Amino acid sequence: MSPLIAYYPGKTFFHNLDPRAKIIFMVIVSTAIFMVQQIPVALVVLGVMFCLWFLARLPFRVLWSFIKALLPIIGFLFLVQAVFYPGTTPLIKPLIPIGKGYGQITLDGILFAVLLTLRLMAMIIMLPLVNFTTPVQIFALGMVKMGLPYKLAYTMTTALNLVPILQMETGVIVDAQRLRAMQSFEKGKLADKLKAYPALVTPLVIGSMRRAQLMAVAMDSRAFGASKSRTYLEDIRLLPRDWVFICLTVFFTVGIIVAPYLL
Amino acid sequence: MVTHLTLKINQGEFVAIMGENGASKSTLCQMMNGIIPNSIGGRLSGQVLIHGLNTKETGISELATKVGIVLEDPETQLFTTSVKSEVAFGPENLSLPPDEIEERVRWALEAVRLSGYEERLPSSLSGGQKQRLAIAANIAMRPDILVLDEATSQLDPVGVEEVLSVVRELNQKYGMTILMATDASEMIARVMDRVVVLNQGQLEVDGTPRQIFANAGLFKKLMIRSPQVSQLATRLINEAHPLPEFPITVPEASRGLQTLLKGTAPNLVEQKKPAVECSQVVAIQVEHLDYIYQPLDVHAVKDISFKICQGEFVALIGQNGSGKTTVLKNLLGLLRPTRGRVVVAGQDTRTTAVSEMARHVGFVLQNPDQQLFADTVEEEVAYGPRNLKLEKELIEQRISDALKLVGLEDKRQEFPPALSKGDRAKVVIASALALDPSIVILDEPTTGQDYRGCHQIMQIAQSLHEQGRTVVFVTHHMALVAEYAQRVIVLSGGKVLLDDVTEGVFAKPEVVRQACIIPPQITELGQVLPAGLGMPRNPLTVLTMSAAILNRFDLK
Repeated sequence: MSPLIAYYPGKTFFHNLDPRAKIIFMVIVSTAIFMVQQIPVALVVLGVMFCLWFLARLPFRVLWSFIKALLPIIGFLFLVQAVFYPGTTPLIKPLIPIGKGYGQITLDGILFAVLLTLRLMAMIIMLPLVNFTTPVQIFALGMVKMGLPYKLAYTMTTALNLVPILQMETGVIVDAQRLRAMQSFEKGKLADKLKAYPALVTPLVIGSMRRAQLMAVAMDSRAFGASKSRTYLEDIRLLPRDWVFICLTVFFTVGIIVAPYLL
Repeated sequence: MVTHLTLKINQGEFVAIMGENGASKSTLCQMMNGIIPNSIGGRLSGQVLIHGLNTKETGISELATKVGIVLEDPETQLFTTSVKSEVAFGPENLSLPPDEIEERVRWALEAVRLSGYEERLPSSLSGGQKQRLAIAANIAMRPDILVLDEATSQLDPVGVEEVLSVVRELNQKYGMTILMATDASEMIARVMDRVVVLNQGQLEVDGTPRQIFANAGLFKKLMIRSPQVSQLATRLINEAHPLPEFPITVPEASRGLQTLLKGTAPNLVEQKKPAVECSQVVAIQVEHLDYIYQPLDVHAVKDISFKICQGEFVALIGQNGSGKTTVLKNLLGLLRPTRGRVVVAGQDTRTTAVSEMARHVGFVLQNPDQQLFADTVEEEVAYGPRNLKLEKELIEQRISDALKLVGLEDKRQEFPPALSKGDRAKVVIASALALDPSIVILDEPTTGQDYRGCHQIMQIAQSLHEQGRTVVFVTHHMALVAEYAQRVIVLSGGKVLLDDVTEGVFAKPEVVRQACIIPPQITELGQVLPAGLGMPRNPLTVLTMSAAILNRFDLK
């Protein structure tokens, strides 16, 4: 899978938006996504996210690699919903009747699983849409301007920065285990996989601690947190286009929430 | 731990800190800007004074404007997404006015020769460029002192040169005091004023590079890596044919040898190029291998073909980003060819699971800490054979054989992360050997190891080779390549640039330079000596060279 946290440089309108506009977008759209209850609405949301991805000129292959990684979860969702959703329109009679309404594959169950999948996909596009188009230091600056203390904002973004490093490190460690004839990561049962985890966690934790300590050395040597009134070379300003974007985001969200009542 | 250390460094000095692993070089480096004890903690008695400021009583951020520190791993010291913002990070923290910051960024990038890279992503830079960026980010704080803690040890030879020439200019042009923990003695000899040798936290010797490298006793005691020409000179002294002056650089050695050999007749026939012997069994076959990383379409390896026979000892070298790691991963089955075919020990990697490949190929990771997880050395080594579900007696046998080979029999019950760096690497090698593979692949096994560690690890590789196993290793350390490998494959830009016996490869310094590789110093010496002198043209080891010289005197 591609790194979850990364920066893809670009000069599109989405790249140029003020980080605060993007943070607002991220917060309220993700709330709205959780509130969507109808498949058509979810499709519209997903469609809009796709369009934004396209407009931000982000690589579709990266998106595809995320969706591929999600496939097992989607499959699991379908299975669980098909079996446990208390539906009323049975498609296939249960082989073993578990209880009233359960154990049978119903249309309602399938449709609910489709809705969950659409929501999940919308989220998985929306979050990278923001972090792929915003340099970490600008993101931190956005948070500072929204009132967060600098040290906290920076610590949060640094933690985000560590995600791809940990992702890569995990890959290396798993590979090392496979090369010592550990099969569980390839074809093992869940129980075997769980048993294989200690071998993964120990080096990962020790490595992260060592890395964190060295990062602290590097940050100290550059006077991190020396002064409360830090200078920012790159200034950010909310321009009319940012306000337009924020208004559109709000309209869009309100639209999503009220649409079902109007239709 | 540093004990009873007294050291005074004057403004404008260019000082190397040498010593074995565990000599506390890093501790000394981190004491310079107060990170020890203010940030990391520990007990400090005595004092560290920087321009008369006591580090214990001065804030880290104030010290940050006096002392800059560059670390070994670029990833841990670059935080932002553009070169410019990286350099601005420190001055911004100091709340300087924007104009002043702009000016400092411009100056710092110019000083490290990265002007024009302002908008680049730091992660897209080469290793040498990243370290230069880390230097720029530090000097933008306008420190008087710059500390480099093993800052060149992960770089390819040309990357080392880049960083060094930048640091040297900072020293000469701006009078910056430079402290560099490093064992790159050939560069120390060329540019530094002073060498401080530490031994288990104590000051062993302090002197000029020439005094240090001419001190044969020191080398014996602490295995300080001295330049190859100095090693040669020491050998000649021991054989009672000393050079007129003790050399530490190639031109000095060349002059000295010409004087020494005056009057002796050139009688050496140029040695025949040893052909690579190939057994009938092919261990590794790579045919038209192409590899493209998805999702960003990075074409890392382009139409590579080579064949390695069972029992060969091969070095795979090239600059960072030349495709070495991609080729290795393809050999191990961790990556599957985009096009072409890779057959290792008779297994086609496209159809064989990695855990199955593990029966045939042992792999030693660059960083041992990425795989050590068990409570004891014994458990760690047993992991592989247990995964293969071998019988108990056989597992026991494998453990003791593997530990014997790497010389860790007496450390069976120890906790692996608590071992020394050299021993941790040996545990990892033993873990790979416990699977009894016919092929062993080592990925930069000597990175971060001291001279003793490097040679111990390579000796182990040598004994694996002598057992008839195929050994393939990746390294930036050309002296080790010259000393141990029979054959060298040079990669550059995802293609095979050269594939020849070791001597054949280093005989073409202008070609290997394209791959950012510089032949070992002793080879360079052979190449600069006048042809009429009749010395070996491309000697690979100090031993070859000294034997050739002594041969002259024996014949007289």
